[in-house]
Amino acid sequence: MAGITLPAQLAGTPESRAALPPARVVADIALVAGRNLRKVLRNTRLIVFSTIQPLLQLILFAYVFAGVARVPGTSYKNFVVPGVIVQTMVFSAMGTGVGIANDLHTGMIDRFRSLPIARSAFLVGRTVSDSLRLGIQSVLLVIAASIIGFRFHNGALAAVGMMVVVVLFGMALTAFSAWLGLTLRDPESVQAAAFIPILPLIFTSSAFAPVNRLPGWMQPLAKVNPVTAAIDTARGLAFGGSHTATAAWHFAAWWVAIVAVFTALAVRRYRLG
Amino acid sequence: MSGGVVAEGLVKRFGSFTALAGVDFSVEEGTVVGLLGPNGAGKTTTIRILTTLLRPDGGRAAVAGYDVARSPQLVRAVIGLTGQYAAVDDDLSGRENLVLVGRLSRMAKRAASERAAVLLSAFSLVEASDRLLRTYSGGMRRRLDLAASLMVAPPVLFLDEPTTGLDPRSRLQLWDVIHGLRAQGTTIVLTTQYLEEADQLTDRISVIDGGLVIAEGTADELKAAVGGDVLDLKLADRARTADAAATLAKAFGVPEDELTVDAELGSVLVPVSGAAALIEAVRALDAAHVPVADIGLRRPSLDDVFLSLTGHVADERPEMAAPSARRRSMMGA
Ligand SMILES: Nc1ncnc2c1ncn2[C@@H]1O[C@H](COP(=O)(O)OP(=O)(O)OP(=O)(O)O)[C@@H](O)[C@H]1O
Ligand SMILES: [Mg+2]
Repeated sequence: MAGITLPAQLAGTPESRAALPPARVVADIALVAGRNLRKVLRNTRLIVFSTIQPLLQLILFAYVFAGVARVPGTSYKNFVVPGVIVQTMVFSAMGTGVGIANDLHTGMIDRFRSLPIARSAFLVGRTVSDSLRLGIQSVLLVIAASIIGFRFHNGALAAVGMMVVVVLFGMALTAFSAWLGLTLRDPESVQAAAFIPILPLIFTSSAFAPVNRLPGWMQPLAKVNPVTAAIDTARGLAFGGSHTATAAWHFAAWWVAIVAVFTALAVRRYRLG
Repeated sequence: MSGGVVAEGLVKRFGSFTALAGVDFSVEEGTVVGLLGPNGAGKTTTIRILTTLLRPDGGRAAVAGYDVARSPQLVRAVIGLTGQYAAVDDDLSGRENLVLVGRLSRMAKRAASERAAVLLSAFSLVEASDRLLRTYSGGMRRRLDLAASLMVAPPVLFLDEPTTGLDPRSRLQLWDVIHGLRAQGTTIVLTTQYLEEADQLTDRISVIDGGLVIAEGTADELKAAVGGDVLDLKLADRARTADAAATLAKAFGVPEDELTVDAELGSVLVPVSGAAALIEAVRALDAAHVPVADIGLRRPSLDDVFLSLTGHVADERPEMAAPSARRRSMMGA
């Protein structure tokens, strides 16, 4: 009614937005993550195909190239497994952006935003569910690789370390992927755009050949490539080698940089709406 | 005011385009207000600002006394929203969708599933309740989306075109739900393209066009503002339409362009006042030997109001809109 006007001072201080008890924040994150995981499980076709593809790759490399390719320190079959697993983590991490773009597209994000949930729950819940997804996928791949003859040389602890490294790398890329999803807002575009940086990064890395076997012009690129850092760290943990500490430092630096930059960008995008 | 909704001078720009140019809008606690306007008027934008999904570039708004820009979390705790497009999860079942919304609104697990069961039955979705949303029809999705916004029985409810895409039975069901919520004291803001629905459901109406509220009042007040009655004539012989129009224009002393003439339908509408006009019209037509199939007087409808205010028909759908040229000329200025 025209007669009603707003008082100068409205109820509710700005602080009241932030004051959610931690238990509620955790509960909200768990609800969002649970919902995301349920969606993953419902898309069985997607699970099957996204697992079969790296499996085929493993088999291909293990049986086709194992005979011709020679690498120092271990068999080519062993050598290529961490490369394929890291590459799978990179591709799978793009699912984060696709999922977010999908939620924007279908309006689910409006549903979440109009509810009194923790503001962080949407993005953190997404990170939690996708990390679990990456973890499960990497375990499956290691099991499959062992069946065709992949062996760790460094004991159980280092093997676990390798798994942690590959999943951590995937998690860092989910931040990039989330930012892409929030920016492009359309699942198909996210999928297409993600390949532009990702394919060159994978092919100029140590995924399929040691850096010193790559074409000369490519070697400097390969050395600073974050994918190389992740793969070399994973290989170092799996098989040992003098190069491992350097690779681990590179990896740590890249990890912090990627997470910091893209988390900040993604959060900013999310806040802008 | 404690409950209710108030907006003062809301401005929203998208780039250089001004979608809202200073919307003033208010809803008294416990009443139902309809937000009406042509496509692109700014209805959805207004609702998105009031439900904290968009930040206004100017102006202020409060829902239940909480500032939407400064205390969005407090606003979210007291509102329910059904947006213009269904916000549901395709990979979850109907029940799971509702329970998720309930749990995120701080309901206990048990309470959420009980409430979900009640709503699924209220919206005739019991049979489909455990099917994934991707198997739902458009109208079923819409109904589930409405149910989701009612999970916590919010004190303030926003419904953006809630009945678009619903079949007549579902529409009546929703009307019942809205009447029921109103009886319980829920404050409701709804937009609709169906003016008859606004007539049925709302206590007051705000008409919005070009990002401004251009009229406000009860449906009756708005109709009265348009003024007068409408003489509605159908001819037995369509070929005589022009003759009939000329005869009536002369009889009532109004310029012919204030009449709405449709030669194809053989119909003429004349703005008149008072029942005596009916007798006068029959006499004049009889004298001119124009045979009449049907003639009557009616009050202006909300469609007439809408047209006279905005110069658009409410909707392109045939059941709602008469041919626009016809209506437009009837409403004259
Ligand atoms: N995100 C956006 N970016 C640019 N323009 C926008 C955006 N959202 C809305 N608009 C514009 O603002 C205007 C008002 O849009 P709004 O959705 O509020 O209209 P509406 O009254 O709900 O219309 P309809 O009856 O078609 O739903 C339109 O001209 C629309 O094109
Ligand atoms: Mg709209």
